Amino acid sequence: MKSNQPKILSGKPAASGIGIGRAAVLDTGTKSVMPEKVGEKETAHQIEKFEIARENVLKDYQQIKILPDNSDASDIIETQIQTLKDPEVDSLVRRKIRDERYTAEYAIFSVFNEYIQMLEATKVNWVNERVVDIVSVRDALIEATRERRKKLHVKRGEVVFAKEIPPTVMVKLSHIGIGGVVIEKGGLTSHVVILSQSLGIPCVINAHWDRYKLQSGTSVIIDGTTGQVIINPTWKQSQEYEKRKNDEELRFQKARKWTKEKSETSCGHPFSLRANVEFAEEIANLEPNGVKGIGLLRTETVLFETEDFNVDDQVTFYSNMLESTGNEPVTIRLFDAGGDKVIEDSEVESNPFLGWRGIRMLLDKKKLLRNQLEAIYRVSGKYKGRVRILVPMVSRVEEVLELKEQCEYIENELIHNKTNYDEHIQLGVMVEVPSVALTLDAFARHVDFFSIGTNDLTQYTLAVDRGNERISALFDSFHPSVWKLIKMTYDAASKHNLPVSVCGEMASYPEAAACLMGIGIQDLSMNAGSIHMVKAVLCQNSLEDMNDLAKNVLSTNSLSEVHDFLNSWRTP
Amino acid sequence: MVSAKVKVLNESGLHARPSSELVKAASKFKSEFFIKMYGYKVNGKSILGVMTLAAECGAEMELILEGPDEEEALSALTDLFKNKFNTGE
Repeated sequence: MKSNQPKILSGKPAASGIGIGRAAVLDTGTKSVMPEKVGEKETAHQIEKFEIARENVLKDYQQIKILPDNSDASDIIETQIQTLKDPEVDSLVRRKIRDERYTAEYAIFSVFNEYIQMLEATKVNWVNERVVDIVSVRDALIEATRERRKKLHVKRGEVVFAKEIPPTVMVKLSHIGIGGVVIEKGGLTSHVVILSQSLGIPCVINAHWDRYKLQSGTSVIIDGTTGQVIINPTWKQSQEYEKRKNDEELRFQKARKWTKEKSETSCGHPFSLRANVEFAEEIANLEPNGVKGIGLLRTETVLFETEDFNVDDQVTFYSNMLESTGNEPVTIRLFDAGGDKVIEDSEVESNPFLGWRGIRMLLDKKKLLRNQLEAIYRVSGKYKGRVRILVPMVSRVEEVLELKEQCEYIENELIHNKTNYDEHIQLGVMVEVPSVALTLDAFARHVDFFSIGTNDLTQYTLAVDRGNERISALFDSFHPSVWKLIKMTYDAASKHNLPVSVCGEMASYPEAAACLMGIGIQDLSMNAGSIHMVKAVLCQNSLEDMNDLAKNVLSTNSLSEVHDFLNSWRTP
Repeated sequence: MVSAKVKVLNESGLHARPSSELVKAASKFKSEFFIKMYGYKVNGKSILGVMTLAAECGAEMELILEGPDEEEALSALTDLFKNKFNTGE
């Protein structure tokens, strides 16, 4: 009886989703390999065994290399393929067999172990993280040498428990259609995790399931969002998770249907949903989510990674973004560092969020600013009408005027060098400091559009540092004051016929997106993963209902009432 | 035999991708390729050898090539270091 008691253990959440099913305990990892020797005449056969094993494993790896379209995962596999082809490994293994007359499996085992020890001894993080990949090459080679390559006894829907899972096995498991993965080891960058994420398999890591004498066939539940693993769940727990899993799937399926639909409300009113993007790797994610252009391209990472804020590197990065977004616009936000992202010669400020950041810093660091403007202008020449510049952390109109002088300087330089650029390149200002929303008229003459950054607008309106955990409950972008500032911004900009978009996290909540639409803002930018959910809600409701929602939200000064109004729009 | 001193410019060092790019590029040439760093010498066409160097950003090393296409190989490989192994960093 005792063994059927439910047991809950928690690991680290690694790939979201809920897995419910029977456990399949995977026996990976190599049993000890004995230092056995062979006779003189046997050595040639052992060398041949090694060569054949290597060919077979190489084939396996090359096959999976083309499967997941994920650069991190394919990097790992590339390294493993190179390990298999490693000339030093090859000659060391041959020598161990030929000169010392060891079996192929022991020769492989000992040669790899020497390397593994050296790699572990480096104490360098990225090297240590790769050790597990090298170990799995070693084990795959030994398995193949033993000529009894393991058949997987895992059935569809089962939740796999293992110490570690080699990538080849992981890909096979995903073909079987497993319900989830729990591993004892692994880091968030390990191949199991990367593959789980890209293949949509719930995954929990660092869970010490082996302490519970888990048997294959035991019923289990894993939650890849919280990291919880339940062994022998009660009937009630099963029901609860079953429901959550179904709800999750249903919601996802329903929303997915809308990605290919036209972006308009049920009454035919158009809207645009764009993506917030920072890394080149995110591009692949845009198309499947039905994203139209980039509403906020963050440039901090690319600038941090290029030496001296190199113009050519930036041109390449921006061009890639434009190249992969069809004919849609790409809004490039100028370097928004300072504050939490300290750059080299900035001093530690006692109040960094009220300090030297965004445009304030850019105007002091002319070389950085000019390099970035030059890169953006150069790209704009090739993609006319699609490049837009967004200025962060503006609090006074003088900053915009000073920036425009710098733009002119770059334009003159480009004309002088006979370099092509878009003469009508659009310049916009982030509305994140309340002073901009309150005096928008002053800015209107000098800019082409406004984009509301709801996170910072909330932080500066409510005087809540969003990084401070003690007061994190006070940070709420749905506060009535924030909605009023958004409405104010929209009204003032409309008077001047200037477009307003929202590029903060707020837009990724479907109910808030509906309210923004109701206010009149039809251009929303968010993380690509949220777009289909937002789109589903906007497509299925009428603008009239959204107008009513906005009216209600704007009518109250009570935060809880705002939440009540929005709650009724929250997706079930 | 030709050789040249180079420096790792990649912010996170000669990590998985750059190591892999280096080995891939070196393997295209006939010449033998060795890397010398802090008194160690490894075969530059061996991914495990290169990884054991655990070269971090700013690490200096000597590239040594010997063979029929040594000049060509040396310039291709030193370029790779300069271009941060085309990793876009």
